[in-house]
Amino acid sequence: MASILSLKNISKSYGRIRALKDVSFDVPGGSVFGILGPNGSGKTTLLGIVMDVLSANSGQYTWFGNPPSEKQRRDIGTLLETPNFYHYLSGQHNLEITASIKHKSPEDIERVIRLVRLYERKDSKFQTYSLGMKQRLAIAACLLGDPAVLVFDEPTNGLDPSGIAEIRQLIIELAAAGKTIILASHLLAEVEKVCTHVAILQQGVLIRSGDIQSVLSQAEWLEVAAPDMNKLREVLEHYRAVKKINQFQNVLQVYFDGVPDAVMLNKYCFEQGVILNFLQIKKKSLESEFIELTNNVSN
Amino acid sequence: MRDFLHTLKVEWLKLKYYRTFWILLAVIAICIPAFNYVVYDITDNNFPKINGQSILGAPFSFPYVWRTVPYFAGILMFMPAILIITLFTNEYSFRTHRQNIIDGWSRSRFIYIKLTEVFLLTIFVTVIVALTCLYFGFLTRKETQPKAGWEDFRFIVFYFVEMLDYSLIAVLFAMLIKRSGLAMGIFFLYMIVEQFVVAIGRNKFKVGWVDYLPEEVSDRLIPQPLGRRMLAPGNIEIWEKHVPLYLSIAVLYIILYIFFIGVRFRKTDL
Repeated sequence: MASILSLKNISKSYGRIRALKDVSFDVPGGSVFGILGPNGSGKTTLLGIVMDVLSANSGQYTWFGNPPSEKQRRDIGTLLETPNFYHYLSGQHNLEITASIKHKSPEDIERVIRLVRLYERKDSKFQTYSLGMKQRLAIAACLLGDPAVLVFDEPTNGLDPSGIAEIRQLIIELAAAGKTIILASHLLAEVEKVCTHVAILQQGVLIRSGDIQSVLSQAEWLEVAAPDMNKLREVLEHYRAVKKINQFQNVLQVYFDGVPDAVMLNKYCFEQGVILNFLQIKKKSLESEFIELTNNVSN
Repeated sequence: MRDFLHTLKVEWLKLKYYRTFWILLAVIAICIPAFNYVVYDITDNNFPKINGQSILGAPFSFPYVWRTVPYFAGILMFMPAILIITLFTNEYSFRTHRQNIIDGWSRSRFIYIKLTEVFLLTIFVTVIVALTCLYFGFLTRKETQPKAGWEDFRFIVFYFVEMLDYSLIAVLFAMLIKRSGLAMGIFFLYMIVEQFVVAIGRNKFKVGWVDYLPEEVSDRLIPQPLGRRMLAPGNIEIWEKHVPLYLSIAVLYIILYIFFIGVRFRKTDL
């Protein structure tokens, strides 16, 4: 599918600080595209540029294959940094303004406000909302007019655990409905659960981008335990294809040259007289992968 | 045109339920006639009278009322400035100036509709001033006087120019400072400092250019109206000769402010 958003050599400096350096990548249609990076890595700056609130020093970007325009932004639901609303107006009146700017029907307000569970408080002033409610109102504003593209910058900010789970579920449902979602976050565990593609930024430099399978290594290992751990280690040391064994808390982490085969290992241990009481296939988390990638770049 | 009205409707939605806006607007609409009434009362009752008329003349009668009311309304120019600074800095403190762009306005659309709002507010206040003139004109009218003495109606236009000048300076401070309290403080400070520079420059150092400073030049469109009989002979004629120059420079400032405000909002990071 054609690119929804395409960035070419975007650079941005704040005085002597270079916030983005020659960043280029494409966001394919229908993807859930995670922009990852620690605080200050340039994620929000990047989204600010493609939303025309910041100006790039150099480089270009296109939305839907065309140069950026105000009309395109009306069909993109965007939550950038913080929920920005008129404090003296109610949630309902704030969404009327958003709907009017976006040229969307005000009749859609009830649907989105119910979706984020704010219907009961729709007539309360924005300034009386909790942080989580403000965030939910911002998400409701994004969903007005059912846009095909959504841009979420730290969408779970200020939400409690159940709110975070709700947003994650909402993103999964939106993705299943064929929406393209661009999601900037430093909460890697959250991103890992929903993204199909990622771009990893560090200090304004794009370290890697692409579909999540190609960006992240497929490294897997097994964690095993048995009543006699010394015997288990001895047996494993003689097992072919074992590359490395680490003691980690009460288990042994067993690394292989290729893809680990849990069935074969279990059978081998049994044949050697060791009965496993714990066996689990482990995969690198996005977090550890990210730390490894960013450390490599720093070094 | 439909597009413009749609954009204006969004601004209306921002103001419709904003109580502070309506209160400040009401305060302006009440204070302009009320303040003029206080001055009218003083001029009418506190000065000696010759042949039943105050030695100050009849400043609240036609046609002089067209210059008296705008002059005293001009002293209250800080009131609409407070409202304008509040409306602009709200957008910055709520960060809605960013959100409106993100949601689908161009930067030009945002800033020019805001300036339209300032323009409409200026028209509203000017209408209040004109109505106040008519009220006092008819209140003090005698049988022998003209019905409304329209020949000095030009002072209403001058008031419009003066207020637009002040309002755009307020916008400029609001845009550059972004915080309401500080912007208002700096705006008032600027008003006082400029008057100080004008007083010192004109009377002590005898320099003429101080007459063309941003606020002074628009103030000069509406000279002090009381005691016209006591003014040095020829002063009125000199003022009359300079009016086209004052007006041109005041309008030039307005154009420069609009240009600078537009360029700055379109070019800087929000």
